[in-house]
Amino acid sequence: MPTINTSSDLIREARQEGSEVFCTIAGEIDLHTSPELRTELLDILQKTAAKNLTLDLSNVPYMDSSAIAVMVEALQRLRKLGGSVALTHLQPRVKGLLEIARLNTIFTIKE
Amino acid sequence: MMSRSVSPSPDDLLEWQLCSDPAQLSDSRKRVEAFARTCGLSGSACNDLGLCANEALANIMRHAYSGVTDQPIRVTAQRLPDGVKLSIRDWGNGVNPASLPARPKDPTQPGGLGMICLRSLVDVVRFTPQPDGMLLEMQKKKA
Repeated sequence: MPTINTSSDLIREARQEGSEVFCTIAGEIDLHTSPELRTELLDILQKTAAKNLTLDLSNVPYMDSSAIAVMVEALQRLRKLGGSVALTHLQPRVKGLLEIARLNTIFTIKE
Repeated sequence: MMSRSVSPSPDDLLEWQLCSDPAQLSDSRKRVEAFARTCGLSGSACNDLGLCANEALANIMRHAYSGVTDQPIRVTAQRLPDGVKLSIRDWGNGVNPASLPARPKDPTQPGGLGMICLRSLVDVVRFTPQPDGMLLEMQKKKA
């Protein structure tokens, strides 16, 4: 399974399996860090031509609405290709924010 | 006759100023959460108030100050008998976020999530336009 090189500490690991990309995100994501996450994720999607994206959020204790906006942007891009975004191992604060934003049914949520 | 002013205890009132730089968001959020803990709010209530502080400050940075990162924001956290009051003052464009259009019905459309958090997670949200900016007051009650 090819590993994808990234230049951001926010993405601890990225790898590709066929048309799917798996990324392990790490750290608190707010308006300060979300632009970097956006740049890295969109770059990965572009260079891999991935159709589906899975984000492991087990190492993300906190995110705000700017992080949600990044994930929604990735989702919108992949939906145009018939793909989707899955989120795994959500911590309680992240899960709660997704519920408030009514986005818990838009993403595929996995334990 | 000497007048004597009694300063409120730091346990009852905490005030600080930050710049409109997103790099300062995390510190202010954590200050709010720590203050709320000392006031006896539950863990989830502290988290709720911290997120609302984050969203309010981020809105000021992005919209009231249009991304300029050296403008002042003053935060005051005050203990109430039944919870915590948070006041956030900016000297930005004075646009009242509560008067802006509601979040689109399609949740994948951008915009408005910060206000959704405020309306959902704290008990009182009040924007008071100032001659030179905006005052936001929020209250979170103990469960």
